[in-house]
Amino acid sequence: MWIPIQLNENSAEPLYHQIESQLRSLIISGQIKEGTLLPSIREFAGGLNCSVITVRRVYQDLESEGLLRTKQGTGTFVAKVGDTERETFRREAVEEALRSAVDVGMSVKYEEEELKRLFLAILHKKYHPEEKEGES
Amino acid sequence: MEQTAIEMKGVEKKMRQKLIGPINLKLPKGYVIGLIGENGSGKSTLIHMILKIVFPDRGDIAWFGESYPHEIPQQVRRQIGFVSEKSSVEEDNLTAEEAAEFRAEWYPEWDQTYFEELLGKFKVPRNIKLKKMSKGERRKYEISAALAHRPKLLLLDEPSSGLDPFAWKLMIDELREYMESGEATILLSTHIVEEVKRLADYVVLLHHGKLHGMAEKDGLMDNWKELWISGGMDLAEDLPGIIQVQQEFHGVVRMITTECLQAERILHDSGISVLKTRTLELDEILSLWLKGHLPAGMQSGKGD
Repeated sequence: MWIPIQLNENSAEPLYHQIESQLRSLIISGQIKEGTLLPSIREFAGGLNCSVITVRRVYQDLESEGLLRTKQGTGTFVAKVGDTERETFRREAVEEALRSAVDVGMSVKYEEEELKRLFLAILHKKYHPEEKEGES
Repeated sequence: MEQTAIEMKGVEKKMRQKLIGPINLKLPKGYVIGLIGENGSGKSTLIHMILKIVFPDRGDIAWFGESYPHEIPQQVRRQIGFVSEKSSVEEDNLTAEEAAEFRAEWYPEWDQTYFEELLGKFKVPRNIKLKKMSKGERRKYEISAALAHRPKLLLLDEPSSGLDPFAWKLMIDELREYMESGEATILLSTHIVEEVKRLADYVVLLHHGKLHGMAEKDGLMDNWKELWISGGMDLAEDLPGIIQVQQEFHGVVRMITTECLQAERILHDSGISVLKTRTLELDEILSLWLKGHLPAGMQSGKGD
């Protein structure tokens, strides 16, 4: 199975961390289904041009989080992701995006009220795109 | 605890013009170790000592945990595959098939099907003598033959010299495939940085016969970075592993660190923003390392 992971070499984030967080979101978001057999450590490492040490660390971390399980002699599989975990992950992903949007607002000196109005306006446009004509 | 394929302790060899060693090195089992060094830095001698083609003047070598003061026993030697920098003349007058017959007698693990499969993939010409082959064709034969007895330790001395880019890519794939079992270990000497980048888990650096140490490849890539930071030159004083620092323009300082992960943490904690980060290319890292800047926390290997 091919896993779509995109490494950014010029990021300050260590390689194992980039791989781990991307693989974690692929699993929790359900893009890689329960029971999927992951590539062997050497194969995965080869595809990313990184070392087996890095990939082994990722597999071990995600296994201890309960997202992967290893069957002796067969390989590493995606485990069942619980509903609570999936919920937490969804919320955290959105929270993080909102937080950084607020950071941008604050860095260009937006007032709280001003930012709130802008957010609500964007929210409205996104959820009701059909209304956008008649408004002004 | 990780198993060790080869361990060298205080190994020294006086060559015509220089002293190789003392070398203290552990090659962990199950990994690809890239051996890097300039021409004449002692890479081939190191490999020859592991094969006992060259006998060290001093020090000890252990093969899979055992040391052998005299010859390496046959059953151990048979678990080692070797692609020499120069092809041996002994097989010159044989075809690939004839040479394989001899090798199959010597190596009980010889896998003829696998050998044929490799010759086919590499498009090695049949029914012509090895000495009549082009350099690249001969190389492809040598690599196939070294893999065909499924050695536990594979010593490759510049295996890719003479290979065209397609055969080179195929060699990388085949070596990865061979590593799948997790039981095999490869020591690969090379001038080609891309080869190390694609294959190696660890990098060993030799310089004028001296070992500059062994480092995890990804650890190098994660830690050797160029940073652009807002601030002045004095910033560098509080950061670890700084080997170059320069005021780029007013208010921006550029530096190279060998400990980026830690430097980042310090900068983050002091609320200083990093404007840009660039991972050094592996060849830049290697040449800085050659100049004496050592990676943090590596197996030093100097052994005094």
